[in-house]
Amino acid sequence: MNPCSAATPQIDSEGDGRWNSIHNRFLSDAKGKDADVIFIGDSILQALEHTEVWNQWFAPLHCLNFSIHKDQTQNVLWRIKNGELDHVEPKVVVVHVGTNNVEHTPEQVCEGILEIIRTIREKHPSASIVLPSLLPRGQYPNVLRDKNSKINQLLKEKVSNMNKVEMVAIDKGFIQNDGTISHHDMHDYLIPTNAACRKAFEPVYDLLQQILSEGEPEKDLTPSE
Amino acid sequence: MKMVLSQRQREELNKAIADYLGSNGYTDALEAFKKEADMTGEMDRKFGGLLEKKWTSVIRLQKKVMELESKLSEAQKEFIEGAPTRAKRTPAEWIPRPPEKFCLTGHRATITKVIFHPVFSLMVSSSEDATIKVWEFESGEYERTLKGHTDSVQDIAFDHHGKLLVSCSADMSIKLWDFNQTFECVKTMHGHDHNVSSVAFSPSGDIVYSASRDKTIKAWEVATGYCIKTYKGHREWVRMVRVSPDGALLASCSNDQTVRVWNADTNECKMELREHEHVVECVAWAPEAAAAAINEAAGGDNRRAAHAGPFLASGSRDKSVKIWDVSTGQCLATLVGHDNWVRGAAWHPGGRYLLTASDDKTLRVWDVAHTRCLKTLYAHQHFATSLDFHRSLPYVISGSVDQTVKVWECR
Repeated sequence: MNPCSAATPQIDSEGDGRWNSIHNRFLSDAKGKDADVIFIGDSILQALEHTEVWNQWFAPLHCLNFSIHKDQTQNVLWRIKNGELDHVEPKVVVVHVGTNNVEHTPEQVCEGILEIIRTIREKHPSASIVLPSLLPRGQYPNVLRDKNSKINQLLKEKVSNMNKVEMVAIDKGFIQNDGTISHHDMHDYLIPTNAACRKAFEPVYDLLQQILSEGEPEKDLTPSE
Repeated sequence: MKMVLSQRQREELNKAIADYLGSNGYTDALEAFKKEADMTGEMDRKFGGLLEKKWTSVIRLQKKVMELESKLSEAQKEFIEGAPTRAKRTPAEWIPRPPEKFCLTGHRATITKVIFHPVFSLMVSSSEDATIKVWEFESGEYERTLKGHTDSVQDIAFDHHGKLLVSCSADMSIKLWDFNQTFECVKTMHGHDHNVSSVAFSPSGDIVYSASRDKTIKAWEVATGYCIKTYKGHREWVRMVRVSPDGALLASCSNDQTVRVWNADTNECKMELREHEHVVECVAWAPEAAAAAINEAAGGDNRRAAHAGPFLASGSRDKSVKIWDVSTGQCLATLVGHDNWVRGAAWHPGGRYLLTASDDKTLRVWDVAHTRCLKTLYAHQHFATSLDFHRSLPYVISGSVDQTVKVWECR
């Protein structure tokens, strides 16, 4: 059995039950808010909610963010299977998870993400699913960085011909010429800073705008002279 | 329109196309293109993703340009025409003008509703932080907090004299608060099976109407707290209920994209108004003074229509505001201009203007007779959820997801 695609709650290693509390809050948020876009995933997306670009770009699109620090694919899968997407009718679901599956092989993690996609598809047959690629991590080149890039590569092949599933590369520009990641981009060499989120999530924002405005009459965008 | 590229631009475009073909794995096309366009050598890094970037940024820039142009024309108008001075303003014409007089903070979550007290210089705000706060709007002072609900407070309303406040909540309860002396909760009413989204008093003050996500509207006797009627018909969450000025009709709107008009006494649904293309968020009955402006809007060139009303405004997530003649069920005017969901609507007491609050963060003042937006106030940093117009003093208040309540002075 692949541990990445077998839904399990996050282990409450610290003993304060926070993970469950957050899950329950998401359940009640889902019921009242009528969100058009739902972000679901790990630390990276959770951090996004506290940046300027979230307020500037994403909040006006009617977004909810169901992301939890340190979540792995099997944890996100568990949350989806336990109701977080049940009382909403999102037009788009944005998924970013896998970087915390440090003990698993790229193939296992990729399969875990695919299982998440299948589960979302079952619940929301007509929603678009957007997958920002996993970001590189660590100040210096390391095995996890290589693994994330391998996961991205595998996933890209798998989803390329799926309907309404789009992968967006957001991992460019983090690794500098000497192979290091700057603390200006990732203060802890894992989570992108305010400025880095602006760079990384710009293509996601563009894509969301395009998906959400499909069906609206096209505006004439030629500049008038 | 024929667009001409300079030689340098053409070379750059070619390189960007080559990069696009290359990075998407269209190798055959790339080879053929390189040959035909006579390109040699390695690609410069600066063309990486350039074509995609241009493709997407044009849309974004155009949007930005439109935004700036509308702000500029607003500023020019203000500069050329000038706002009337305080001395020269008349109650029929005054409209809120920036900047805000007060920005009040204190709530810990989204503001769901703001209303004026009908008599005292007080205003009340409700919030998703489960509290209700009372403020003095002329001084901007905080007065007190009403605690009792255990979940988001969704709507609040005063009776005619301002002696009772009614509130409803996602905790499924409706509460009555004494505003005469104690500011305490005097009654709690249960009966809805889901989130209660809206409440309103009858003009006489002896009945409270409530709308809920359980798809029903209920009437409650204030004296006893009993539910005396249930109005069924909406197929989805009922977002708001409002009582006509004479108390005979109820207007409600819903996630089922309709507005319904009910006979308040018999609970019969008189009319279903279906023209909105998305959830209808709010409704507001027009004051009698608005009839002239609405008939002017409904008539053709130089002709005034002769609709008798009553009239109702509705705001929707389809970004439009509609004005209806409730006696015939006709939509008389559609106001287009908001760039996101319309969440709140309030009539100017003079009847010539309608004010709306939207998720595009603005408040707009609509010149009803000419169905155009007269003024846009860039009011909040996040969705504007609610607004109210004082019925005799020159003040407008607004609430937002940014957790602030703002007081606007009219001139």
